[in-house]
Amino acid sequence: MVDKPVPGSRSRAFSELLNLSMPASPESVAAITDAISKILVELEIPESKRFEIDLAVQEALANAVVHGCNGDPSKSIRCRLNKDEAGHIVITVTDPGPGFTPETLKDPHQPENLYGDHGRGVYLIRQLMDEVQFDRGGSEIKMWKY
Amino acid sequence: MDINVRKRSQAQLIQLRGPLRMGPAVDGLRQALEEVLNGGDTRIVINLAEVPMIDSSGIGLLVRFLASSKQRGGSIKLVQPSKFAVQTLRLVGVLNLFEIFENDDAAVESFV
Repeated sequence: MVDKPVPGSRSRAFSELLNLSMPASPESVAAITDAISKILVELEIPESKRFEIDLAVQEALANAVVHGCNGDPSKSIRCRLNKDEAGHIVITVTDPGPGFTPETLKDPHQPENLYGDHGRGVYLIRQLMDEVQFDRGGSEIKMWKY
Repeated sequence: MDINVRKRSQAQLIQLRGPLRMGPAVDGLRQALEEVLNGGDTRIVINLAEVPMIDSSGIGLLVRFLASSKQRGGSIKLVQPSKFAVQTLRLVGVLNLFEIFENDDAAVESFV
């Protein structure tokens, strides 16, 4: 664990708990999700909150692999896990893709989308986390759990 | 993920163990469901008691095959989804698409 100030954070102390770059593959998604889940257990994050973070991380990483890297394992995705001094969990997932416009995503609750086999990931992330921000044109997602 | 498929009365019972998420788990369940439907069975029970997580690719798979089985006169019924699985299905608005049962027997018998 390394304590260091984060630029732009107005001197709020962040602990970097994980910083990984891995091939864009389903195996990496599972490995990173499981690693973060283990850290959250060690941090004694309550189970319900842990499950929500786990699933949001899974969705963000899956989007990075499928949409950001077109499933090409020669490309890399990056994931960082931080905790601020207030105990808030911050997860950042970055991919090398062109990004996307979150506002164009369909509402999965609409009747015509209920039986669709995709299009629920970002919606789930927004429901599960307390704050979500897209940067770099959508190729980086930052998620907070308070 | 462990996937066990067996015939139970007039239904195919699929027992899952492990997270249902992108990768081998979703690919394996997709293959199992395709084999069941291609074999002519459209009455499917999926036991989720030991599935701690369902991600959006798992949800997409379940609803797609629910639609396929219904189009052929059958259905997919769920048994004992975890509290968090129920919460996830509800969040994306698909919980009410499925009939949910407390045990395998009740789900299988509901097809009569």
